Amino acid sequence: MNDKQTTRRKFLVAALTFSGAASSSLGISFLRSSAAWAASANDADNLAAMGRLAQLLFPHDGLADGVYGEVVGEVLAWTAADPSTDGLLVVAEEALNAAQDQDWIELSESEQLAVITALQNEAFVAGIREMVRFRLYNHPGLWKHINYPGSSKEHGGYINRGFNDIDWLPGES
Amino acid sequence: MARQFEMNDSSVVVVIGSGAGGATLSNELAKKGIDVICLEAGPRLTLADVVNHGPTMDQKMGWHDKREGPLVWICKTVGGTTMRWSGVTPLIQDHEFKALSTYGQLDNSTALIDWPLTLDELRPYYDKAEDKMGVAGSHDIPDFPETNNYKVMAAGGKRVGYKEITSSRVAINPVARNGRPGCQQLAFCNSGCTIGAKWSTLYTEVPAAELTGHFELRSEAMAMRINHDAQGRATGVVYKGKDGNMQEQNARAVCVAGNVVETTRILLNSESSMFAHGLGNSTGNVGKHYMRHTFGYALGLMPQPVNFHRNTRQSGIILDEQYHKPERGFAGGYIIETLGLDPWNVSNAVGGWGPDNTVFAENYTNIAGIFITGEDPPEAVNRISLHDTERDANGLPVPVIEYRDHPNTLAMRDHSMKMSRAIYESLGATDFAGGDIPVGAHNMGVARMSEDPKDGVTNRWGQTHDIDNLFVSDGSTFSTSAAANPTLTIVALAIRQADHIAERMLRKTL
Repeated sequence: MNDKQTTRRKFLVAALTFSGAASSSLGISFLRSSAAWAASANDADNLAAMGRLAQLLFPHDGLADGVYGEVVGEVLAWTAADPSTDGLLVVAEEALNAAQDQDWIELSESEQLAVITALQNEAFVAGIREMVRFRLYNHPGLWKHINYPGSSKEHGGYINRGFNDIDWLPGES
Repeated sequence: MARQFEMNDSSVVVVIGSGAGGATLSNELAKKGIDVICLEAGPRLTLADVVNHGPTMDQKMGWHDKREGPLVWICKTVGGTTMRWSGVTPLIQDHEFKALSTYGQLDNSTALIDWPLTLDELRPYYDKAEDKMGVAGSHDIPDFPETNNYKVMAAGGKRVGYKEITSSRVAINPVARNGRPGCQQLAFCNSGCTIGAKWSTLYTEVPAAELTGHFELRSEAMAMRINHDAQGRATGVVYKGKDGNMQEQNARAVCVAGNVVETTRILLNSESSMFAHGLGNSTGNVGKHYMRHTFGYALGLMPQPVNFHRNTRQSGIILDEQYHKPERGFAGGYIIETLGLDPWNVSNAVGGWGPDNTVFAENYTNIAGIFITGEDPPEAVNRISLHDTERDANGLPVPVIEYRDHPNTLAMRDHSMKMSRAIYESLGATDFAGGDIPVGAHNMGVARMSEDPKDGVTNRWGQTHDIDNLFVSDGSTFSTSAAANPTLTIVALAIRQADHIAERMLRKTL
């Protein structure tokens, strides 16, 4: 299996993992779209391409692919719930694919990045980028990756847990 | 005990908005025995509703009604934007009250004026505001403890030569006081302080006013328009109540404190045959001269951990740049403050995409942060108006917000970024990101106080020049923006306005 096929498979797995994880936490509109895309190879391909896009927009070495898969699944659900944005991810994939003879996801990483750069000022790319940014950086998996613990109330805050523990600053002298 | 007033009771003062201005004014009036009804568009949360999660709290308390133009980051909830504010409480300086006299007019576009009051006149009210809010380092309140993020900023600030550096000047309790606990460094100040250590009117002014027996809060009551009589005096406020029905509350006087967008909207939306362009707008100044400060953020990637997520968002300021020093290439000054951000806001602030962006979140624990707030000059083209045709879910005209940075603002921001970078690089920062925060969080000026009615909307007491029983009681009355975070001044002005209203009632001129 070559690298490109590996990439496709990783995001397919991520997308499928997400369809199970999300059904308990998201609304009906999402369930409807998740059922639709899970049943369709085209939709799975779309999720794979968008997962790769999310990863290249916001690369974090060592962050599980499944996190990106969940994030684009949430973006899909969000866009599908509003007629004005429904289908946005398909439009995005088609635009990425139209840039070269091959499907975008089959390109090398540097070629993929060149396509994103060429399209970065398009409204749909910027829109997806901001939707991904919001969901990725509020995702518990990303928080864990960067050692951000989230809510502190249940731990009594940091008054006794290092709010002033910095020890490497130069002295006053 | 909370009171309930009749809709046709025309002896009450009706205050629109329960934030820093509205709730403070309400409480100060009620304490004097004056009957007050406060209309608040948002719901009344309890501290149990406040969780440590930004997006959740934005949904619970943010103002999300349809608007056009740049984001105005305010709240629709009892307590208003005091639920979200960071708690920083510098004073406006003497020379900033005299902006035109001190700076001169900057160019043909700016409309600087002097405030129709002075620091000396406001100082006793600043003192009362600090005591009321519990400003650390004032009124025998201990200094606020030095956090990691503060220590980085202070150490770097000293290296670049700054002298006026303090961890205090925040309205967050360092220790328990007046029934509110000391800060536990939860680090979610901007999502509502769930223990109530940060001053917010939700759990201070509002319940205190209720205890007087002269106050009624009506939450989820969206003010639509202000009515007046044939003499042109305000007679009542039409609002959409909890049940969705329109009702009118009669009033002896009306005080508008909806933050700049809603204050503008209700004044303009109250147009009538007598006041064809809205209330208080005979000189066409309502909605104009919108100011939101020269904002900036600066993030340094430090060589070792800072862990600024363990810290109050903004406890610590450097004042050395707040003065008017034209040799820097701009008029007015700015204040350097600490800034804490969650991962999304880090990514958002840095902007763009790819490794240049993600290097910051990837090294989240090593970030130190600075927030800049500086004076921005009033310009008539920076304004809030109402859309000709578009209506929102309440049937109200959609507000249209226009704001551009003046060259003075750009020069000030550049200078502040250069200094912020120097602060962090003096301590070995490995990377730096900085720039604008294009958001209205400090909102001022759309009904500004002016000596001459042609220059503004309100007089030195916040009373509209046109209507003697119609007042503005929020940051909209600021004649110029100064550099300081506005809340302390809003509170001081509200206390002073309450004295003025009470005195006029005593003299039977209101």
